[in-house]
Amino acid sequence: MSNLSDRSTLPAEPLPPCQVACPAHTDVRGYIHAIARGDFEEAYRIAREPNPLPYICGKVCAHPCETECRRGDVDEPVAICALKRFATEQHDLSKGHAPGLTVAEPKEEKVAIVGSGPGGLTAAHDLARMGYKVTVFEAYPKVGGMMQYGIPLYRLPRETIDLETAPLKELGVEFVTNQRVTDVDALLADGYKAVFLAVGSHVGRKLRIPNADLPDVWLNTEFLRRVALGEKIDLRGRHVLVLGGGNVAIDVARTALRLGAAEVSMTCLESCTTQPAHPWEIKEAVEEGVQMFHDRTFKEIVAENGKVKGVRCVKVNFRGFLPSGAPDMDEFPETEHVLPADLVIFAIGQGPDLSFLPQDGSIAQTPRRTIQVNPVTLATTKPGVFAGGDAVTGVGFIIDAIAAGHRAARSIDAYLRGLDPASVQPPEPQKLNDLQQKTISHIRHLKREEMPMLDVDQRKFTFDEVYLGYTEAQAIRAAQRCLTCGAGARVEETKCIACLTCVRVCPYEVPLLARGTANVPVDQCQACGICATECPAKAISMKLYSDEDMIKQIRDAVRRAKYNGEPAIVGFACRYCAYAGEDANVVKASLPANVQTIDVLCTGKVDALYLLKAFEFGADGVFVAGCLEGECHNDKGNVHAAKRVAYVKGLLDELALGNARLEMFHMSPDQCANMAEVVSRLITKVKELGPSPVRRS
Amino acid sequence: MIKAQQKPIAEIKALIAPYHRILILGCGTCVTISFAGGEKEVGLLASSLRIASAMEGQDKIFAEATVQRQCEWEFIDAVAEQIQQADAVLSLACGIGVQALAERYPDKVVLPGVNTTFLGMAVEHGVLVERCRACGDCILGLTGGVCPIARCAKNLLNGPCGGSQNGKCEVNPELDCAWQLIYDRLARLGQLDRLAALMPYKDWSKDYDGGPRKIVREDLRL
Amino acid sequence: MKVGSNLEKVLTSGYFAATGELGPPKSADPGVIRHKASLLKGYVDAVNITDNQTAIVRMSSISVGIMLLQLGLEPTIQMTCRDRNRLAIQSDLLGAAAHGVKNLLCLTGDHQRFGNHPTARGVYDLDSIQLIHMVKTMRDEKKFACGEEMDVEPRFFIGAAENPFADPFDYRPYRLAKKIAAGADFIQTQLIYNVPKFKEFMKRVCDLGLHEKCYILAGVGPIKSVGMARYMQTSVPGMDVPEEIVARLKGVPKDQVRKEGIKQCADIISEIREIPGVAGVHVMAIEWEEAVPEILELAGLLPRPKV
Repeated sequence: MSNLSDRSTLPAEPLPPCQVACPAHTDVRGYIHAIARGDFEEAYRIAREPNPLPYICGKVCAHPCETECRRGDVDEPVAICALKRFATEQHDLSKGHAPGLTVAEPKEEKVAIVGSGPGGLTAAHDLARMGYKVTVFEAYPKVGGMMQYGIPLYRLPRETIDLETAPLKELGVEFVTNQRVTDVDALLADGYKAVFLAVGSHVGRKLRIPNADLPDVWLNTEFLRRVALGEKIDLRGRHVLVLGGGNVAIDVARTALRLGAAEVSMTCLESCTTQPAHPWEIKEAVEEGVQMFHDRTFKEIVAENGKVKGVRCVKVNFRGFLPSGAPDMDEFPETEHVLPADLVIFAIGQGPDLSFLPQDGSIAQTPRRTIQVNPVTLATTKPGVFAGGDAVTGVGFIIDAIAAGHRAARSIDAYLRGLDPASVQPPEPQKLNDLQQKTISHIRHLKREEMPMLDVDQRKFTFDEVYLGYTEAQAIRAAQRCLTCGAGARVEETKCIACLTCVRVCPYEVPLLARGTANVPVDQCQACGICATECPAKAISMKLYSDEDMIKQIRDAVRRAKYNGEPAIVGFACRYCAYAGEDANVVKASLPANVQTIDVLCTGKVDALYLLKAFEFGADGVFVAGCLEGECHNDKGNVHAAKRVAYVKGLLDELALGNARLEMFHMSPDQCANMAEVVSRLITKVKELGPSPVRRS
Repeated sequence: MIKAQQKPIAEIKALIAPYHRILILGCGTCVTISFAGGEKEVGLLASSLRIASAMEGQDKIFAEATVQRQCEWEFIDAVAEQIQQADAVLSLACGIGVQALAERYPDKVVLPGVNTTFLGMAVEHGVLVERCRACGDCILGLTGGVCPIARCAKNLLNGPCGGSQNGKCEVNPELDCAWQLIYDRLARLGQLDRLAALMPYKDWSKDYDGGPRKIVREDLRL
Repeated sequence: MKVGSNLEKVLTSGYFAATGELGPPKSADPGVIRHKASLLKGYVDAVNITDNQTAIVRMSSISVGIMLLQLGLEPTIQMTCRDRNRLAIQSDLLGAAAHGVKNLLCLTGDHQRFGNHPTARGVYDLDSIQLIHMVKTMRDEKKFACGEEMDVEPRFFIGAAENPFADPFDYRPYRLAKKIAAGADFIQTQLIYNVPKFKEFMKRVCDLGLHEKCYILAGVGPIKSVGMARYMQTSVPGMDVPEEIVARLKGVPKDQVRKEGIKQCADIISEIREIPGVAGVHVMAIEWEEAVPEILELAGLLPRPKV
């Protein structure tokens, strides 16, 4: 099978927007297509390749890929994150966490990494695979950074973090916990040839308003850390008001709920349409009973006898933050009111704790008080010291930190080999263009699978994981929604004779004629395979599979189907219908051993040649199982298939093999459970004709 | 464009019967567009013939290749080695290509796998119709762009005959009567008076009746 | 008088002409000719002899024409463009004229696909109008088609066929004009059963003044059976058989149909005689030559004039 995720060099051809949007440039298309094909191990391998924390990302990634997903122009984006989670859940861990990834010969150099969050862990992973001796210093008792101490349990169980960090220890990475690094220069003096600072942004910020330092006025980062460290905070009966509207504020609010708070609200500058938290997180919080108070600024924490009573707010129309950091808004003083609360938690932002940096300023900071770096190499102003992740950017996503970890590892490796770190950074990939409207109009709408979740009334009382993950049937349906952007047909211009067949048969109006040959714009093709099969000059090849692959599969299938003297039957089954709603393995298991199926994503891809080849290799009977007419994923793929079946039946008659050996079935998803029965009718006819007189050794 | 149609398998089997190692050679131009002899058809025919060979207990060996055009010496020279290795070449090119192969490889048996049928076009995908008879003396300017030589079953020049009914030809009711088409077209162009003039006898010597034809362009000769 | 054939004389004398037709045998048997000739002799002004009609090989029209001359009838030979090129046509016409044949009907010919030799090549070197022109040029300019002159020219009374009911319907009178301009002296139409429609056709022909330049004979023929009527109505391109025609035959007992068919034919002749511009009738009694005298008797066209 062609290796879509060959990342030795990022390909020059434009990539799908999901892959480009992912900071780690994960081959989303590759792993989703593998799931659609039923090859879950391959999906895991592809998802894991650029990402040492796939289990974690599968649960909590902010999935910027989904925002850019072109399926969003059709109906809803593909559930890319949920599918990564599915792939990790299907992976057999006994095969190892990173199947196929290599480890180089050990090197002499020691590298120190400060911070064991996603950035630090990724850099440690990469450098250890390159052969370096890596030591990770972590100030807190456990490894994981913000994942361990910021993300609540109901989103990310701690076992998942352990699962991802265990293989790093096996790689030889040394973890030193409970060790806060205070002297970077000392590390360099200590023989570490390079240092990567990945300390994250763990310091919450308070607004300097009256009474902000009262005991019942807490800080987001401290609150979440205390819970993560195991402290049993009892908030029963409390009225909690969270100041802030972002993702962390939501984590704080939902955590407070689970700790028993009687009421939890959030208030922020933004309106309900501009609130910065992820929309799905807002929705889940509101479902659980968190109240949102938008369009407010906080003037004062109202207190009485040292006890918090509420927050005095004024309504605003907030337009965003100015470059200086100040809010651009108008206040409406006449709207002043007090939001009642007896516990206020600030969640308005956080920054890195840079107090450990050298006092002489040799590691410079930015005006926003993050670590200053060269954005290409992540080098700080001190030679040999690199920095990345939230410590550099302020609060970001885990996947951003992972990308920074990779970049830092490349830079450090170059630096240690005397090369220019900028020279080893891969070029930024180019993105495919948007889908054209006429192609969008032809794409079948398919509902996005809903993520199974714990019942609302249950989940707000526990820290049990809220998301339960897709079932296999859901995952396959979800994966089949992917448009496999940019992985479609390629025209070989030397063979193309501009016969216009591809232009005429494409269900999506994609091929164009230019300069005397056909051109299938890579950014529009939906990879249905019909043009490649119909092209009389065999000038069109498909990126995702080839005739050679298929013919090999057919040969294998015929061999396996020769069982116990029964007629050898080979079937081409469309994955969109033949197993829809059913576990493919269950359906296949219901078929007798002399019936072997080859899966295709749409029978439009089944070339007449494949049918003949099956007979050439000695099959006694062949069938094609496609969708009902009018139900084809690609409009008329099954109609083309039916015509090819009719044509080959004619050839079978000319060859005196008997056309009854070949049959096309149109199946609804309900019928697929009875595929065995449908195929048995073909077997009966084949038995009447007797074994195929074609004998191959 | 030249249109062709693959010969029935039974006929092809009879042609290749005496030979063991057969090269099926496709052509990437006209016969590809006719879906009769391009690379795709070569693959299908090879598979069919292998099946036939196995059914009859023979072990014929079929090699497959396709060249851009079999009517160019350079293109067929490029497959010289494959041709040498074969006992016979089953060419899926039109008659021109088959003859070019035979002339270039005079010691090789070259067999035709398609019937060259006519000069025509696809009026819709999958429907090919005859349009030109290569008569060497084009009169389309006089007949509103409809050719009576190619499209009238009796190649009348002063048609229609008495068998034209509802715009269809008596010889084949699915065929449009060419002279009805000419009449309609000339009416649209306001040139119906052309029909009153007697179209004189055709000079068939410009057609094949004058002997096989040749064009020499001295300005192009190297 | 261009040629002086009996047919020409009858027409130029102003009589309503009546011609018949004889289908040659699919054999070399002259006895068939003698028999059929005896059925028609004296009852018609001239006898057409078909030329491999419907592309079925039969004894040649010219040879039968010569036999008829020997038997004392006047032949109208037919020549199609399907089987002969311009050399063969001119050559045969020189021979026919030398034997005394004077009437010639120029036709395109039914396509060979309909006949008993469908794999034969169709010649179609000329079409029927070019043929008319060629024969006229031979007669009036003493020139071959290539332009060479001859000293003794073949003189033919030139006829052509026309199908008033074929398409394009509007064009047919102009086509007739074209044939006349090319040199047609007389016209024989295909079988007429739809008299009103034929009347319409003739009106337009007369409007063009064609009836004055050329003698138009309407084709008529008796129907033997209801089945034959149905067949002609539905399966013969270019034939217009109105329902009344079929109904009339259906309305009589089966053993009366043939007789009714003869009467019907005579009635059609009488109707046609009323139509301005019609100079005569051409009776086609296919394999039923013996019906011809009865039809003409009933139509009041006997005896034939002696000119």
